[in-house]
Amino acid sequence: MIPAILTGVRLHMKQASRNPFDLSGVIVWPILYASIAYYLLDAKHEPKLLLSASFGASVMLMWSMVVIASSGALEQQRWQGTLELVVAAPTPLTAVIGPICIGGALVGTYAIGAVLLWGAVLFDVPVHIEHPLAFALAIPAAALAVGLLGLIMASTFVLYRAAFHLGIATQYPVWIVTGLLVPLSLLPSFVRPISWLLAPTWGFRGLHEAALGGTPWPDIGMCLVLSAAYLAIGGTFLVAFEYVARARGSLRLT
Amino acid sequence: MAVIEVENLTRRYRSRTGTFRRRTAVVEALRGVSFAVEQGELFGLLGPNGAGKTTMIKVLTTLLLPTSGSARVLGFDARREARQIRGRVGYVFGGDRGLYDRLSAYDNLRYFADLYRVPPRTRRTRIDSLLEMVELKGRERERVETYSRGMRQRLHIARGLLHDPELLFLDEPTIGLDPVGARELRDTIGTLHQAGKTILLTTHYMYEADALCQRIAVIANGSFVATGTPSDLKKVVGDNTIVEIETFGVEDEVVDRLRRIPGVRAVGVETRDQAQVLLVQSAVGADVVRALLNELSGAVTGKVITREPTLEDAYVELVRSA
Repeated sequence: MIPAILTGVRLHMKQASRNPFDLSGVIVWPILYASIAYYLLDAKHEPKLLLSASFGASVMLMWSMVVIASSGALEQQRWQGTLELVVAAPTPLTAVIGPICIGGALVGTYAIGAVLLWGAVLFDVPVHIEHPLAFALAIPAAALAVGLLGLIMASTFVLYRAAFHLGIATQYPVWIVTGLLVPLSLLPSFVRPISWLLAPTWGFRGLHEAALGGTPWPDIGMCLVLSAAYLAIGGTFLVAFEYVARARGSLRLT
Repeated sequence: MAVIEVENLTRRYRSRTGTFRRRTAVVEALRGVSFAVEQGELFGLLGPNGAGKTTMIKVLTTLLLPTSGSARVLGFDARREARQIRGRVGYVFGGDRGLYDRLSAYDNLRYFADLYRVPPRTRRTRIDSLLEMVELKGRERERVETYSRGMRQRLHIARGLLHDPELLFLDEPTIGLDPVGARELRDTIGTLHQAGKTILLTTHYMYEADALCQRIAVIANGSFVATGTPSDLKKVVGDNTIVEIETFGVEDEVVDRLRRIPGVRAVGVETRDQAQVLLVQSAVGADVVRALLNELSGAVTGKVITREPTLEDAYVELVRSA
């Protein structure tokens, strides 16, 4: 199963890199987000605030990439007739869909580098990482957790043919309830427990604490705990939904 | 030993229409089908579009659950033991779909080799030998989106054979191929069969089924209407003579009059390009040509051929009477 996962991540990233539309979005979005954050937050005088907003923008993009990769890839697999073939293979569907989601999250990690570089080159925002080791671990931990959250969502896409639209619709709600778009303190108190269950909350905190000084390890730990939980839930859902799709006959887009 | 055992298999689909007033319709794609395929056999499944051929293959490859009845593949239950079946069978379908277009042929095969758990130490040699077999060696690093239909179909065959399956399902593999490509693919299927593979083949092409299959089942409206060797099936119309008459613009009532001519057993109409071809079955020795041409005197007629029945005639007769 491990070779299938590794090859899956590599080939889905390779495939995404060959779509000019996806590629241009990945390159342009983080730069756009960083530029907006710079002007909104008056970064010249508050460089730390910009850095913090940059990490928020990076995790937002990471989530977007996971949503687009998982929902878009499943819809594409239906259209090109490969969904039935991967289901017909003896490897569990989790090892097929998981790499698509993690591949999307890994593409999203590029946003972190792009945003930091853009801020440093154009806006003279100093890039100073307080805990380099923790920061280096916070990136893959965030990618893994956000990617595996996508796995839960992707499992429903096996059932529904309108997967792409359904997936895109989840972008903003997750951005909002995880505090990436507006601070959680501005939202009703019932949102906070929801945010604790969602990986982008902890992924962002891990990056933030590691870069700006704080205690990143609990946040990185939460990313890993949530990853294990998402994997278990997503795997169970996929087995159940695959069975339902076989009963309904909804794997093919015809 | 039977590698496929199907008992009273039924598969129904539910389809919904309407946005506000939802209506549910139930379509019965397979109706109580029973059959068996022996080890090493090349078994053909013939039937018109929508007859249930692909549904049958999807149940046997575990992509669909049977609604009722049972299907056992290589001794495993298709409903409950899907994982065991999936590693032992290969599934290839015809047409443009089923490949990652933006990846190379090699990347496609590499990915499916991992999904089918081909050991890493044999993966490379296995992929190379299959590329050699389907004559794609040297083109394997090119993106699949640049491939012709024939090349894609050959790549499909290579993909289906990566894990050296005991049983191969080929769902209309030559559809859309040019005559040369189709012949090459038929040769490949024949070679695989000679190598000992059990193959279940669905096709629309009678000569393909006649040339390749040891036994054939004709399926229409979800039920098997006949099973046997190609020569068994030809006997369905064996005591008939076929008269083919090329015509243009013949009305239905004229065709009905032809059916009433003494000695005529059945009349079918096929459209070929601009022409209608009347396929008239009559008893051997009955001279019906003159009477047929008299009835068609008001219509434009072309070639008239009298010949022995073929598998296609048997198929048409079986499907029509189903």
